[in-house]
Amino acid sequence: MIDDLAMVLGSSVRLTVPLAFAACGEYIAERAGTINISVEAMMLGGAFNAVWGASMTGSASFGLLFGMLAGLVIGFVHAEFSHRLSVNTYVVGLALNALVLGLTSFLLDSIDLTGHQVDALNIPVLSDLPLLGPVLFAHRWPAYLLVALIPLVWWLVQRSRFGLELRAAGENPQSADVTGIDVRRRRRQSVLLCGVLAGLGGAYLAVGEVGAFNQNMTAGRGFVVIAAVIFGGWTLRGTMAGCLVFGAADAMRLALPALGVHLNSQLLIAAPYLLALLAMMFLAKTHRQPAALGAPFVRGIV
Amino acid sequence: MRPSPQASDTAVTASRPAPDTVGEPAGAPLDGPAEHTGAASVLTVPVVQLLGIGKRFGAVRACDDVSLRVRAGEIHGLLGENGAGKSTLMKILLGLVVPDTGRIVLRGSETTIADPSAAAAHGISMVHQHFSLVDRLSVWENVVLGDRGRVDRDRARKSVREVGDRYGLRVDPDACVEDLSTGERQRVEIVKCLRRDPGVLILDEPTSVLTLEESRELFTVLRRVVADEGKAVILISHKLDEIVHATDRVTIMRQGRVVARRATADTDVRALAREMVGRELSKWTAASAVGALDALIEPGTGEPTGGTAVLDVREPEAAPAPKPRPAAGEVRLRITDAHARAADRRPLLRGLSLEVRAGEILGIAGVEGNGQAALGDLLSSLLPLDAGRVEVCGGAVAAGRPGAMHAAGVGVVPEDRHVSGCVLDMSVAENLMMADLSSVTSRGLLSRRRMAERARRLIEEFEIATPSPDTPMRQLSGGNQQKVVLARELAGRPQVLVAAQPTRGLDIGAIEYMTERLHAAAREGIAVLLLSTELGEILTLSHRVAVIHRGAVVGEMDRADVDTERLGLMMGGQAA
Repeated sequence: MIDDLAMVLGSSVRLTVPLAFAACGEYIAERAGTINISVEAMMLGGAFNAVWGASMTGSASFGLLFGMLAGLVIGFVHAEFSHRLSVNTYVVGLALNALVLGLTSFLLDSIDLTGHQVDALNIPVLSDLPLLGPVLFAHRWPAYLLVALIPLVWWLVQRSRFGLELRAAGENPQSADVTGIDVRRRRRQSVLLCGVLAGLGGAYLAVGEVGAFNQNMTAGRGFVVIAAVIFGGWTLRGTMAGCLVFGAADAMRLALPALGVHLNSQLLIAAPYLLALLAMMFLAKTHRQPAALGAPFVRGIV
Repeated sequence: MRPSPQASDTAVTASRPAPDTVGEPAGAPLDGPAEHTGAASVLTVPVVQLLGIGKRFGAVRACDDVSLRVRAGEIHGLLGENGAGKSTLMKILLGLVVPDTGRIVLRGSETTIADPSAAAAHGISMVHQHFSLVDRLSVWENVVLGDRGRVDRDRARKSVREVGDRYGLRVDPDACVEDLSTGERQRVEIVKCLRRDPGVLILDEPTSVLTLEESRELFTVLRRVVADEGKAVILISHKLDEIVHATDRVTIMRQGRVVARRATADTDVRALAREMVGRELSKWTAASAVGALDALIEPGTGEPTGGTAVLDVREPEAAPAPKPRPAAGEVRLRITDAHARAADRRPLLRGLSLEVRAGEILGIAGVEGNGQAALGDLLSSLLPLDAGRVEVCGGAVAAGRPGAMHAAGVGVVPEDRHVSGCVLDMSVAENLMMADLSSVTSRGLLSRRRMAERARRLIEEFEIATPSPDTPMRQLSGGNQQKVVLARELAGRPQVLVAAQPTRGLDIGAIEYMTERLHAAAREGIAVLLLSTELGEILTLSHRVAVIHRGAVVGEMDRADVDTERLGLMMGGQAA
C-alpha cells in the first residue's frame, strides 16, 4: 500500500516537473500581458531539440541546452511578430503550434535519433526516508533546479526593477509608457524568458524522464501550463499548485490501470484536461488577471 | 459686431513685437511688466522655451508655429478649448509626440526630447489627467516606476513619506492605488513627479476630477512649489477662473495657434474667455466655458484680482440662465431607492431616488465616479438593480433587461459616443436608424430607399453636416457625430431623454447647438435628465439640480436657489 502511494506520488512529482519549468515562463509572460499560447510549441520544440542535441553531442545535459535554445528561437519569433509587428498574438501562437508539430514530426522521420537520458541524483540520506525519500529526493538532476528557479522567478517578478516594469506593462501599458517604460520591449523579453523556460520543460520531459522523442510528445501539456497559471490566479505559488494538481491527474491516468482500476483509457487521457477546464470554470471568475492581459499595446493612442 | 478670428489675431499681434517668430532672442519681453514673483525671475533665462513648434496629424494641424516661454518661479497657465493644441504641445515637451518643426530650448540650450525618460532627465515631469498610475501596484511601486537601478523598497517608502510631509501631500506608501479615491490618486501622481525634483512640473486639467476642497489644496501646494523652491509649473486648463486664480502668466491657444500672452494680473475672466473662443460668448455657453469653480477662492483670502473677476462672471452671465419653468408636467421618470453593484461587488448605487417631470431638465451634479455612469447604464438597460424600482410614465420597467428602457420610451445620448453612441464604421444613415429599424423594415428586409429618405429628413432637421447619408460616421466631426446620436434618440419620440456629458469634447458652436436642442426637447414636453461633471453645464441647462454623491442623490434644489458654495460642499459629501 505504502509502495503504491509512493509510486503514485513519485510519478506525480515527475510529471509535474516539466509543467513547473514551463509554468514559470508562462507566469512571467502573462504578468507582462501576453497569453503565450505558443508555450506548447516551445515545449515540443524544446523536447525534440534536446533529443537531437543529445544525439549529436552524446550528452543528455547538453541536450537540455539545445532544448532551451529551441524555446528561445520560438519565443523570439513569437515576440517579434506579436510585439514588434503587431500581428494578433493568438494567430501567431496557433501558427507556431501547428508549425512545430509538423516540423518535429517530419524531422523525427528524417533524422536518426539515439536515446539519451540525464543522470538520476538521489540525495544522500534524504532519499532513504520512507515515502518522502522516493517521492521528493530521487529524481533526475535537472529537477532540483526548480528549488532555485522558483524563488528566483518570484524575486524577478515581485522584487526586481525588471519585474516591476513587467507587471506595469501587463496591468496598464499606457501608464507604463507615459512613465518611460518600453512596454513592447518588456513584453518581448518576457516571451523570450518564457521560451527558455518552456524549452527547458520540454527538454526535461524528453531527455529527463523519457529519454527519447515521440511524435507530439508534449500532447497539449503547454495548454495545461496555461490552465495552471489561470488556476493559480496569476500568482507563482498558485501556479505551482496548479502544476501539482495537473501533474497528479496525469499520474493517476498512468497509475490507475497498474492499481487494478480499469477505466476507458481514452477517457483517462482526457481527464487532466477535463480537470483543467473544470478548474477554470470555477476559478476564472474569482481570480483577477492582469488588467491588460492579451490586449495588444500600440503607442500614442491616449 | 463680433470680431472675426483673424481680426482678433492681428489685434493681439499688433500689441506686442513679433510674437511667434522663431528667431526671437531668448527672454525677450513678451508681455506686461507685472510679475507676482519678483524682479529676479524676469531677468533669468526661461526654463522652457518652445519655439515655432508645428505638428500635424493627417489633415489636422494640432500645433501651428506655437511658441511658449516659461520661467522659474511662476505658475504659467496654458488656456484653450478642447482641441486647441494644449495637450499636443505638452506631449511634445514630454517626448510622447515628435514635432514636425520647431525647436525646444531648455535653460538656454537647444535640446531634442525623444521619449519620456529623456524629458525626466531634463527635469520635466507631468501630472497626467488619465493613464499614469497602475492600479494594481502599491503607491511606492508606482512612485519608483520609471526610475533606473535596483528597487529599494524601504528607501522608496521613506521618500514617499518625506515628499508627502514636505508638500503636505500625505499618502500611505503601502496602500494599493486601486483602493484610493481620485483625490488621493492625484496626490500620488504629484508625489511621483515631485520626488524626482523636477525643474518643470506640468499639470493637465488637474481639477477635472477633484472636489472644490481638493482643488483648493492642490493650488496651495502648487504655490508652495513655485514660491519656496523656484520651480516652474505649467497648468493646462480650460477653466477660466482656475487660470485667473492660480497662475502668474497665461498663454492662450486657439485652433493650434497661440493667440495671446498675458500677465494674469492684467486680465480678467471676460477678456480671457473672449480670447479663448475668439468671439463674444452667448449667455448660455458662457457659464459652461467659464466653469463654475468660483467657490475656489476662499472667502477673505486669495488674490483680489481673482476674486472680483470671478464674481464678474457669476453675476451677469451664469445667473440669468434658463428661467425656471412653471412646474407643471407629470412625473415621467421615477427611480426609487435603487441599489446596484458592479461585477466585482463594488457598490455603484446606494439608494438613489429621483423624479423627472415632463418639460423640465433635471441636472445631476457631482464629482466624476459617484454613480453618474451607473445611472446612465441603468437607464440604458445595462445595469440590473439589486433593489429599488424604475418607473417610466407610471409603469414599472424591468431594469437590466435588454431594450426594456428603450421600449418604455427612454432615449439615451450616451457618455462616450465612440464607445456606445454610434458605430464609427457604419454610415450616417445606418447609425440614424439603428435604434428603431421597424419603420424601415418590412418582412425582415431593410428598405434602403425608405432608410435613405428618413435619414435625409433627419439630416436636414438636425442640421447634420455630412456629404451624404452614406458617409461613414468616422469622417464626421465630433459635433456632427453627437448630432447624429441626438437625432436618432429624439426621432424615437421618447418620453424621457437622458443626456450624459452631452457636450464633452465639442467645440463651442456644437455646445451651443446641443444646449439649444436640449432646451427645445424640454419645451416639447420631454423629461430631460442631464448627467454632467461640468458644473457650468449643469447650471446653464437645468431647471432643477440634484447632487449625486457615492451612488445616492444627497440634495436637490431649484436652479434659482443654487448656491455654488453649498453645491460644492454637497458634491464633496459634506452635509449642507
